Amino acid sequence: MNKMQKVLTLLLLVALCMAPVFAAGVEEAKPKVGGTLNVYSIMPEKYATKIFEEFTKETGIKVNFVRLSSGEALARIIAEKANPQVDALWGGPADTYEAGVLEGVFDVYVPSEAAKVPTQFKSAKGYWTGIGVIPLTFMSNAKYLKEKGLNPPTSWNDLLDPAYKNSLQMADARTSGTATERIYSLVKVMGEDEAFAYQKKLHQNIQLYTKGGAGGAMPVATGQAASGVFYIVDALDIQQQGYDLVISYPKEGVTYGVEASGIIKGAKNLEAAKALMDWASTKRLGEVMVANLINYIPTRPDVTVTNPALDMSKVKLLEAEVAWKGENRTRLVERWIAEVIQQ
Amino acid sequence: MHGTMKRKSLSKTDPALFFALVTVWLSFAVFIFLPLIRLLLTTFIVDGALSFTNMKKVLGTGYNIRALYGSLILATAVSLSGTFLGYLFALAVTRTNLPKILKTLLGAVTILPLISPPFTSSISLTLALGPNGMLLKAFGIGDFSIYGFLGTWISETLTYFPVAFMVITAILNTMSATLDDAALCLGASRWRMFRTITIPLSLPGIGNSVLLLFGASLADFATPLILGGHTFPVLPTEAYLLITGMFDLRGGATLSFLLLVPALLVFFLQRMLLGNKSFVSVTGKNGARTEFARLPSALTAFIAVICSFLVVFILYLYAIILWGSFVKVWSVNNSFTLDHYLYVFKHGQKAISDTLLIAILSTVIGSVLAVVIGYVAQRKQFIGKRFFEFSSMLNYALPGTVVGIAYIIAFNQRPILLTGTLSILVAAYVFRYYATGIRSVIASLEQIDPALEEASLSLGASSIRTFTHVTIPLIIPAVLAGMRYLFIHCMTAISATIFLVSVRWTLLTTRILESMTELQFSQASAFSMVLIVIVFIADAIMLYLMKLSTSKFHKSQEISYEKVGA
Repeated sequence: MNKMQKVLTLLLLVALCMAPVFAAGVEEAKPKVGGTLNVYSIMPEKYATKIFEEFTKETGIKVNFVRLSSGEALARIIAEKANPQVDALWGGPADTYEAGVLEGVFDVYVPSEAAKVPTQFKSAKGYWTGIGVIPLTFMSNAKYLKEKGLNPPTSWNDLLDPAYKNSLQMADARTSGTATERIYSLVKVMGEDEAFAYQKKLHQNIQLYTKGGAGGAMPVATGQAASGVFYIVDALDIQQQGYDLVISYPKEGVTYGVEASGIIKGAKNLEAAKALMDWASTKRLGEVMVANLINYIPTRPDVTVTNPALDMSKVKLLEAEVAWKGENRTRLVERWIAEVIQQ
Repeated sequence: MHGTMKRKSLSKTDPALFFALVTVWLSFAVFIFLPLIRLLLTTFIVDGALSFTNMKKVLGTGYNIRALYGSLILATAVSLSGTFLGYLFALAVTRTNLPKILKTLLGAVTILPLISPPFTSSISLTLALGPNGMLLKAFGIGDFSIYGFLGTWISETLTYFPVAFMVITAILNTMSATLDDAALCLGASRWRMFRTITIPLSLPGIGNSVLLLFGASLADFATPLILGGHTFPVLPTEAYLLITGMFDLRGGATLSFLLLVPALLVFFLQRMLLGNKSFVSVTGKNGARTEFARLPSALTAFIAVICSFLVVFILYLYAIILWGSFVKVWSVNNSFTLDHYLYVFKHGQKAISDTLLIAILSTVIGSVLAVVIGYVAQRKQFIGKRFFEFSSMLNYALPGTVVGIAYIIAFNQRPILLTGTLSILVAAYVFRYYATGIRSVIASLEQIDPALEEASLSLGASSIRTFTHVTIPLIIPAVLAGMRYLFIHCMTAISATIFLVSVRWTLLTTRILESMTELQFSQASAFSMVLIVIVFIADAIMLYLMKLSTSKFHKSQEISYEKVGA
């Protein structure tokens, strides 16, 4: 009887002790400084893979990364504050970085060639550096426009046309940087109160607010929805897959997002993280992006962009400072929930 | 007097129970209470003092109240419709004379929604019934909006009714067929037999199924996220949006605590409903084993119609995914290609092997725990038993998002440093999804007369020997049912673990969601198909084991009859 008890107890204890055993293994596996870099990437995996491959080729530093949405990434970095699991955050809107700065999760680091990046594309205090710029754009299904006899929208007011009733998909401001960018644009174009009055009207034409900024792109591409507001990088990506889509800009103008990068406070591979930031501030990053059809506009003005869709000379770009975005984000989103969603 | 004696010397009177209890309580303390307490502190302690400001802020908005109602209505609807469909399918498989091949097909098809991540079926559902959907076009229905309660309800019912099917089938299989015979011999009609024997005896299964489905729906955030739209908010989704979108961990945690109230309510309701009734039908005193009596033919026809309709619909939804994985560019260039699968096997290899390892470890550990907990909770008397049972289910009742965040907060510092490890993923899965195992062990034990175990004890076997040689063989089908569910969940669940995957350990489901958000629909479909095939094979193996053990169990009954007869 005693023997059987022991067996059972042992079995349970083994089950219980499994966890610490695995944990111990990880402690030992700490990578050497300079050899490896751990990163959360908000930039889509297919882009990050190509960019990091190039970085590894040129520096010998191996990059382990997980792709997360901006909200998930920041939530995790904050939760892991006491024991950071990654050394750097890669991609994602600069206002996410600003929110992180308020939580004290980023380290100051000014990359070697940061001076060549225009001031509006980097943190004034050196917490983050811009790696790409993405304006908002309208993207519509060509077949839908043709069937309804519509022209591609060239004004924010065009989207209020009853012809679009229940057929616009755009991102939910609670989860998506694309959606908050849309609100910033509207506020800059028409002033805050007008912007919310406009969005209440626009709400009548909305079929669905999607979780991710690119969530509506596939429905627009397949004709489930007619049109939506997207970052240019997502719009071009789906258009390049072969769908019949029309990209157009509102004449009143759009704001743009700055994709950033930064070092996590307490990074275990600090030197490697600095190497990534340095590399990202050179012309190389922009050239890699252009060569691989990664449709961000490089932050370095001296990189030659070949894609005509990224030629911004005819687009009215509105300035919205990242600091202003960071300060107003929560308030604007809460107002959006109260007035637009719950009306 | 007896009670006090017992209390004083549990370690002496029943040392096995004592050790089991200590070990299980210890694991609860680490993997259930610690994360929860740390999360509670985050919610209710503001600047070092107890504060309800977070709660007030959350309850202050009408939208959150609507989300609470939405969650309750949805969970009720899903638990009822899912259990109803699951019961019909279970009856079709165990109580009708439909051809065997058809029964196998039913079982195989029901498993499809279960073994694919919830968002996969949501998306094919959108393509079929969404705006401009293929089915809507085919039937010429113009004005139908899938976004909102209706779509969420349909999708969750489809996703969760297989759980009801599994739980109820296990119960229907362990009933004694002699009761059916007795009823028919005594002149009862088949309807009367169904009403007075089959239904009442399946009540523990139905109760379990309702509880499990209610809990599952209450905690599901992925389906409402895709199909709920802004008109139909539910709590877990709102909590997820708050945490990941507004970086408001406190608000999200607070919202999720609201979910604990209905979860508790259902739990105690079920105890009250089923706690005092006896469902013993496996007594060891049976006569010879016979086949279950068939259902009335009108009912059989009704069941056959509903089941076939549902099977066709499910196959259609999955055909969309299969097709999507083989075409070059979804709905534009429909030429055949294997590129997506090549990509999956080239870049997804690590995700596949990681997921398998994690799922196997979790299933083994989780099942051992589930048997011990279920057995102790149903058969033994000790102080704090109800609390014990409730604690074991806590992680299951909580939304996965909250469990995930709680785990990060709790296990990211010494002494228990687990973030970024394999074990944090395994622990999250084990303590969340062994719930089905526990419930089905308990339900199965409720049908087995303790006299069988008492007989073993009085014949001189130790309590451990009785447990391993009498109880375990009797409940093996239920244990395997629990294991199946655990394994499937470990392969497909995402809500908790999306916060726990790391640069070292990654999961297939996260890769699928990734591909979805990166607009690689075909890649996502290919990943889904690979996942579905893996789980399908593993499931077939477990199903085979289940069948094997059930027939063994039948034999053992016959032996006991012979012995009694002799």
